[in-house]
Amino acid sequence: MLGVARRFLPRAEIAEEVVHDAFVRIWQKARDFDPARGSARTWIYTVLRNHALNTLRNERRVDPTEDFEAFGFVSEEEGPEAAVMRLSEASRLRRCLGGLEPMRRDVIVLAYTQGLTHGELAGRFGVPLGTMKSWIRRSLTALKDCMS
Amino acid sequence: MTAQSERETMALEHALGLLDGESLAQAEQLEAEDSSFAALVTIWRERFSELDLTAPPAEAGSELWARIATSVERIEAGQSPALTRSARASRPNASFVASLWHSLPVWRAAGLSGAAAALSLALALALISRPSPNPTYVAVLMTEASAPAAIVNAYRDGHAELIPIEPIAVPEGKALQVWTLWDRERGPVSIGLLDRARSVPLDIARLPQTGADQLFEITLEPKQGSPTGRPTGPILMKGTTHPAL
Repeated sequence: MLGVARRFLPRAEIAEEVVHDAFVRIWQKARDFDPARGSARTWIYTVLRNHALNTLRNERRVDPTEDFEAFGFVSEEEGPEAAVMRLSEASRLRRCLGGLEPMRRDVIVLAYTQGLTHGELAGRFGVPLGTMKSWIRRSLTALKDCMS
Repeated sequence: MTAQSERETMALEHALGLLDGESLAQAEQLEAEDSSFAALVTIWRERFSELDLTAPPAEAGSELWARIATSVERIEAGQSPALTRSARASRPNASFVASLWHSLPVWRAAGLSGAAAALSLALALALISRPSPNPTYVAVLMTEASAPAAIVNAYRDGHAELIPIEPIAVPEGKALQVWTLWDRERGPVSIGLLDRARSVPLDIARLPQTGADQLFEITLEPKQGSPTGRPTGPILMKGTTHPAL
């Protein structure tokens, strides 16, 4: 879980704070968990991810230079391509992501793993916001068709 | 774009974590009020969640686990009068999670990472919510030297998990690949690729129900997995399933 949090928030102390808060929240909400609405693992990760996303967006509002941390200093090993390669070979998600153009696949994976917004992705890939929005929509439509 | 596909795209963007501000508030409201939208979001969270498991492992300091344990204990102490009446009565197994939770330092002492602890917690939650908590089949995987090295538990609802009990040395550039053989005609099918020995759910949802005497094995393969889709490296351990009593 700390690994997931650190992809959003590379600073160790902030990521640990998020994991702490998420664990406490999971503990408090455990009795509300409804297995009919998805697996426990996904539920746990959703609590963690939502908390990490909120923290990330609040941090950026306070101090926009935070962006650089998420944008620049991510090693190749933790990049979107490596994440896809680490998916199970039998994974349908891996096959469907692999069916996208590499740059569009990276956009989707970065949005999920690092919590980048439309605007941040547009900046990172050097395209106008409208172009990024339509890239994402088209990629998601392709994923939807491939996964269903 | 039709209204229907517009909503579907919104559900996907929400599951991806892309939305913020007004669009996020709108999606959250839909998720709370519209069960079909919520179901769509859940399906896609489940699908994307595979990517969470690809996060590079990060070891938390002992201080973090201690802090979590303290916070949880504080909550428990504060809430216990209310709990004894309602929640504990309706969920008799809650004490099981509590005892697991209190073994947090034990997980750490056992050298488990935060991810493994999360999986243990997920497993505990799954156990609580399932009428039959016991696996239907269990396989003990043995090394060539006949030492038990891992356990595979297969459950009635079709999910399965691998629990290593011995550390396995994985050379640089290599990975552990988990296989099962349920049909000799088809041959072994890959159900997981691990960078190191750790507890993981196994990807057997597409396969027929696990049966007795089904072979599970782990081979040493290149980092990206076997290039042929069949085991190519040495078998590190194997075992067959037996019905659990």
